[in-house]
Amino acid sequence: MGFLSPWFLAGLAAIGLPLWLHLLRQFKRTPQPFSSLMFFERRVQSSVRHRRLRYLMLLALRLALLILLALAFANPFIMRSRASQTRRKLTLIVVDRSFSMRAVNHMERAKEEAHRLVSNLSGGFLAQVAALDSHLETLTAFETERTGLNAAIDSLTVGDETSSYGELARALRLLDRTANMQIDAHFISDMQQSSLPSKGFVDLQLEPGTTLALHSVAQSKKENWAVENVIVAPQIFDPKLSRLTSTVAGWQTPAASRQVSLILNNKVLASKTVAVPPNGRAQVEFLGFDVPYGANRGEIRLEPHDELSQDDVYPFAVERSDPRRILFLYAGGRSHEGFYYKAAMESSASAGLLVDQAPFEQGSNLDLSKFVFVVLSDPGELDKDVAARIRSYVEKGGGLLIAAGIDTARSGAVAITAAKIGGGNAAQAVGEVDNQNPALSEVGRFENVQFLRSVSVLPNRGAKVLAKFADGSPLLLEERIGEGRVLTFAGMLDSSNSDFPLHASYLPFVVQTGLYLSGADDNPSSVVVGSPATLRHSKAETTAADVVGPDGKHELSLSDATKAMTFNLSEAGFFEVQSANGRRALMAVHPDRRESDLTVIPDETLDLWRNTGGMTQVDQTASTQSLTAPWSLWRYVLLLVLAAACVESVFAARYLKQERETR
Amino acid sequence: MPVQVSNRYLDPSVLAGISGLDLIAKTVVDGFLAGLHRSPDFGFSQEFEEYRAYTPGDDLRHVDWNVYARTERAYLKRYRGETNTAAIVLLDASASMGFGEPVRKIDYAKYLASSLVYLAHLQRDSAGLIVFNDDVSNFIRPTSRQGQLMRLLHAIDGAELGKRTNFARPFFELQQFMKRRGVTALISDFFEEPELIVKTVEPLRFRGNELILFHILDPREMEPKLADGALLVDMETGEALEATPEYARTEYREKIQAHIENLRTKAQAAGLDYFLLRTDRPLDEALREYLTIRQGRM
Repeated sequence: MGFLSPWFLAGLAAIGLPLWLHLLRQFKRTPQPFSSLMFFERRVQSSVRHRRLRYLMLLALRLALLILLALAFANPFIMRSRASQTRRKLTLIVVDRSFSMRAVNHMERAKEEAHRLVSNLSGGFLAQVAALDSHLETLTAFETERTGLNAAIDSLTVGDETSSYGELARALRLLDRTANMQIDAHFISDMQQSSLPSKGFVDLQLEPGTTLALHSVAQSKKENWAVENVIVAPQIFDPKLSRLTSTVAGWQTPAASRQVSLILNNKVLASKTVAVPPNGRAQVEFLGFDVPYGANRGEIRLEPHDELSQDDVYPFAVERSDPRRILFLYAGGRSHEGFYYKAAMESSASAGLLVDQAPFEQGSNLDLSKFVFVVLSDPGELDKDVAARIRSYVEKGGGLLIAAGIDTARSGAVAITAAKIGGGNAAQAVGEVDNQNPALSEVGRFENVQFLRSVSVLPNRGAKVLAKFADGSPLLLEERIGEGRVLTFAGMLDSSNSDFPLHASYLPFVVQTGLYLSGADDNPSSVVVGSPATLRHSKAETTAADVVGPDGKHELSLSDATKAMTFNLSEAGFFEVQSANGRRALMAVHPDRRESDLTVIPDETLDLWRNTGGMTQVDQTASTQSLTAPWSLWRYVLLLVLAAACVESVFAARYLKQERETR
Repeated sequence: MPVQVSNRYLDPSVLAGISGLDLIAKTVVDGFLAGLHRSPDFGFSQEFEEYRAYTPGDDLRHVDWNVYARTERAYLKRYRGETNTAAIVLLDASASMGFGEPVRKIDYAKYLASSLVYLAHLQRDSAGLIVFNDDVSNFIRPTSRQGQLMRLLHAIDGAELGKRTNFARPFFELQQFMKRRGVTALISDFFEEPELIVKTVEPLRFRGNELILFHILDPREMEPKLADGALLVDMETGEALEATPEYARTEYREKIQAHIENLRTKAQAAGLDYFLLRTDRPLDEALREYLTIRQGRM
């Protein structure tokens, strides 16, 4: 026996109160005047002793009441054998509905097995049906009739998500702790090895009261070819420069030749035959293919199809457009500040970004919506009208790059973001760089770049520092204003106060930050099933978003259209996503290619999993005898508290009545 | 019927709410006199009985001048019950008389004393007062002069509780001026041995005086209800004693009843009138009962 909350035993100190009331306080008697004591006699027997005896029962009850109350809070428990507990048995039938279950007739066999399990349930059963992919979804409540269970099994369909056996084990552990029932779980799956958690058996651990029976529907023939990936720029500006690379992979396959076709808008543009080595990979490349203007639905198709034909197709989205324009604003008379930037940006044909330069004064006359983002070169104290227009442009989703120079340092704050300036820095090099950020992914570490003068920008709340000077002050800051994205560079983009434009890191910096601000990285050519599509960056933006699914239906409810921040792309195919800032994108979604590896978990590994709970069907009876669990007694103690309180009330009322009568 | 009784008689707690002993005495006495068929023989009476021929030495105030005018003979008017009796009230103001709730014994005794002197006043009897405890604290000689009633009532009202009871002193004082026949009312709780009480007051009876013992007791003195382990303090001696409820319920009651009976027996044996008054009993009802009994005896 023990206590789950032993600190509450300190409440036992309260028993001092009734002890004081009964044994100490009662010695203090109030003298009672009486006319004459001539008829009273002094007796040897003290009434105190007599009274003590009379109140002993009341004292005992009050002490018991307090002790039991403290015990109830301390939550006493005893270790009790689970076998002795009358836990009801729950039969949980879990069917794998991940993408790999599309192979041959895996799902049909899984349903047959599930129906068989339901029909074998003994009388008085309690059962539930659930489906597993990346998470466990219960399809029924705790049923006592077979009808509901069979209907749920019949309604099962295969999804495009990846199965996670770790998620199944986590859900079973949670169910064991909350349902207070013995769980008899049956898992029907193709037992893919790729679905095991990477951390091994730690995540597969089951509770001692859970038994797991594994029902495999995998067939002996497990070879499978698939298009593993496709690499293509999501935006193409010049068809002559278009390039697509695809990888074809085989799992447990012999050497074979496969035909790979590039299909765009249901039209086969090119086909190539590739030799795939046994259980290996091969790459195929398509160059200079023609892409029509606008958003295009493409796919790489592998032929002939195998038993899992769905992964022989890899969808991708590609958009053909003219190069987009960037507005570079500078202070009057300093047009040279954009020289290096324009040259670097336009040298990258794949970026498809052209730079228009204009002085700040013209900022109020230009239509900013024509530009994918704006560059402010050392804005200083920007004209209020221009600043308001640029801020409005950013809030609606536009991009902004601010280069902070001497004028900005003198103004005391960065235009648009209003970040404070802490002063100027002496000559120094670059310190830490976050190369994980898409804006700096190929920039490296700004090797050998020396800044003669720089500006110390104090980050606003919520701003992210992407790169720092050697002294720790920010070099590149990112923050969001409304739906837009702002990068603040604590230096100039020309060579006036640094030799940055003369170094190799300048070109990738300009191009990467340009692509980042233009939103090119927001829409890759293809994403895996389960990825989120960003609908808005701020809850304050209530403009309706829209998502049209592969079947042409609108996926968002009216409420979600104005409130949802993201949308989960839960099935393979093409989604048309219109975010709150008005940008439209075609997103291609493909199943996770780990599902294409149909290699089955070895029997030894499956046995180990079954035994994580120590409750195999064979030794279940023996093991349950030795399994114990803490069994809380607080409810029973509370009942005793109630009983003691009632009896104490009766006794106290009786004594009080006597007291009243004697007064 | 009980309801009529409660309406008819005055509860002591009601009397306690009346300010002024004169009003209390008037309320009590007028109330029970109205219920009697004949006025009690308590000293002088205003009821005409006969004429008597004047003899030298008679008081000329009692000559009926109307008869003299008609007959030219002087006759005196005689009234029923006419005596030379003086009514004396002895009021015990010892500390033990302060016991009682809601009406203290001393208050009840004051109501009784004031009622008696008022009754004597109505009958044009001379009335006097001795307030005593262990000594005589106030003494008003009996007389029928005008203003005597107010003096007596004022003295009764001003009686304050003293310490112990000593019957010897007041009776010694009384014997000094009690030269003629009179009626003496002793109002006390008599927490003393009956033999001693009777022995002390008995000599007064030998001179032809009539002595009435009014025994005032609180119901809680006769039937005490004590809390567990009650520590009782004697109001006169200050002595403390621990008493149990069981004792108070059994032996104490027996003892106080024996004391009452003993006092009653010994008083009657000595030719004294004894009348027990509980402070929860309506005073006018008690007085009426007592006077009725007394009238029947005469």
